[in-house]
Amino acid sequence: MKAIRGAITLLLGSALLTACGSDDGGGTDGAGKTLDVLIGANTIYPEQQRKWFDDVSAKFKEQTGATVRFETFATPNDELTRIQTSVLSGQGPDVYALGTTFTPTAYSTKAFVELTAEDWTKLGGRDKFLPSTLGISGPDEQHEVGVPFTSRPFVMAYNKELLAKAGYDKPADSWDGLRDQAKKLTAGDVHGLAVAYADSFDPWKFIWAMSLQAGNPLVSDGKARLDDPTTAAAYRTYLGWLATDKVVDPAAVGWKNAQAIAAFGQGKAAFLPMVSATSKVTLDKSSVAGKYAYAIMPTIPPGATSLPSGGEGATSILSGDNLVVASYSKNKDLALSFVKMLTDVDSQRTYYQTFGELPTNATFAKELQADPALAAMVESSSKAVGTPFTGAWSQIQLALVNVVVQSVPGLSSGTVDDAKLNGLIKEAQSTAQGALDKAK
Amino acid sequence: MLAPGGLLLVLVVGVPLVVAGQISLLDLDQYTFRQWLDAPFVGLDNYVEAVRDSALPHAIWVSAAYAFLVTLITLPVGLAAALAAHDRFAGRGLVRSVLLIPYVLPAFVVGTVWRIILQPDGVADSAVGRLGLDAGLWLNGPRSFWALVIVQAWTAWPLLYLLALAGLQTVDPEVHEAAAIDGAGWWVKLRRLIFPYLRGPIALGLVITFLHSVNNFTLPFVLFGVPSPRDVEVLPVLTYVESFQNFQFGLSAAMAVFSLAVVAVPIVAYLRAVRLT
Repeated sequence: MKAIRGAITLLLGSALLTACGSDDGGGTDGAGKTLDVLIGANTIYPEQQRKWFDDVSAKFKEQTGATVRFETFATPNDELTRIQTSVLSGQGPDVYALGTTFTPTAYSTKAFVELTAEDWTKLGGRDKFLPSTLGISGPDEQHEVGVPFTSRPFVMAYNKELLAKAGYDKPADSWDGLRDQAKKLTAGDVHGLAVAYADSFDPWKFIWAMSLQAGNPLVSDGKARLDDPTTAAAYRTYLGWLATDKVVDPAAVGWKNAQAIAAFGQGKAAFLPMVSATSKVTLDKSSVAGKYAYAIMPTIPPGATSLPSGGEGATSILSGDNLVVASYSKNKDLALSFVKMLTDVDSQRTYYQTFGELPTNATFAKELQADPALAAMVESSSKAVGTPFTGAWSQIQLALVNVVVQSVPGLSSGTVDDAKLNGLIKEAQSTAQGALDKAK
Repeated sequence: MLAPGGLLLVLVVGVPLVVAGQISLLDLDQYTFRQWLDAPFVGLDNYVEAVRDSALPHAIWVSAAYAFLVTLITLPVGLAAALAAHDRFAGRGLVRSVLLIPYVLPAFVVGTVWRIILQPDGVADSAVGRLGLDAGLWLNGPRSFWALVIVQAWTAWPLLYLLALAGLQTVDPEVHEAAAIDGAGWWVKLRRLIFPYLRGPIALGLVITFLHSVNNFTLPFVLFGVPSPRDVEVLPVLTYVESFQNFQFGLSAAMAVFSLAVVAVPIVAYLRAVRLT
């Protein structure tokens, strides 16, 4: 069996990994060393990203003498495959940029360096970061693996012209208020809301936010709480927009996030909730360019007019990228210097100016606060809350979306079938609890 | 002489099969991933969980039913196309090539194009609407099953056409002459003289079409995404989700072993049939 295992590791290692961590000792004197970094390919700014790689590499070489070799992954699945093969073979990139919601799963593999107080000092101290961005770095302060790199909070775009015509100066701060505004804004082929019901990720973010605002974080103390009435209310609200309130285009049952953005861009919707700043690139080229603005999404849960006691006014999931250092890396100190460089003010400024992604560095974030165009994003970033830190989160996420997917065929009847919805939620609760029970 | 091929077979088929079998007996997930084959041994627990607590039985049913229907549809279509393209006529080469297009398109492209056609308010809906029928959901709900059957049949029938055409080329010209002399009608000629030549290639075509359909991951994944609507929750997508979204590698390996059993049925039937003839 050992021989087979050796053969497999060898096969995986040689066939799937193009980069291997160099085999030399630690220390920040990196002359002659190479640091491998895996980061998501930026499909909106591919040219700029290539230039950024070169610039960062040159800067790091100047600081430490070491070369940085960037590799990119195209999709989250691609990323996962790379992590899996690297974890298994014990060789691969030294530093990974991971999506925030994937960080708990990555943590559960125990394949990444848990940052000690000394490590944080090497990174420039925990105080260097916006406190809210540290919310999904680890299960607690003593066991953190993720260093916040960029912040991509979710906000809502709204069509200023349509709102002004209907007599509104800004979007409501409660989900019920938003629904009422959306009803008034729905006329002809223009709908109040653009929502991507067929997206693989968007639906759970709505359900999570509305539940949390009502005081239910979905997971607490290892127990799943999807069967809580707050979650059912969230589903009824979310599905009701289409089925009973009729404030969403019926075709939205087949929309992915990009199609919702496109509909809003054509002026066919007044509100576009659950988008990040990256939607700006598309919208500025669309027919609503100059006629739209961003605001935070409602923070008052369905059925309420103010935040209930125990409720958390989350504006968004804590979204963005964390940097993690692989525990198999032979260049840990060099990796930490690299992460420090990327999270320093200068690098964060360049990154923001190049890609439009918000900083996690507190000093630079403060500078941006003054910019009115960014007000909504900055506010959302500071009020974003991390999703439950459990290795089972991927499964729970999928179970949450599954409820929406299986509910969609029934929506055309014009009602949200309570019995069916409760059945699906019960199933999701059991899946979620099953996944949590397997946590080790 | 057999050594290089045999070695390759062991490496490419044998080793992964043994490892998959072993993983299916382990509690291998995101928490134990680093231990790899040293993950806790759980015996047949994954198999029990797959049958009792997962969507596996439903997925086997959906996969087998849809693959069977696809195979059934491709038979007359492929055969008719082969008969039509067999006789000599001007532009036959071009027609033969055009008929292969659905088969040679990458599954990803087929899925993306059909997704656009079948989406709400898409081409399919307006076509159905023009016939006075109710336009509805194709990519979720009960109709999604038929959408999968139609699209998979659309991309799969040229294989049968190709094999039947190859079979037709083996028919001895004297057989045609003899039939003409005896005054046999086209149906009798087809039924009594031509079909016996085609039995082998068509049986092979049917088995391959069934297996391709059961194993097709890309098409349902691109058409419907994950989580799958229940009506199109097929085996490969379920196995993929367990591995790469839920990180239940042990459970997923057990599911893969079950799918091996599903695909083994037609293979065994085919091998028996071949031996009998």
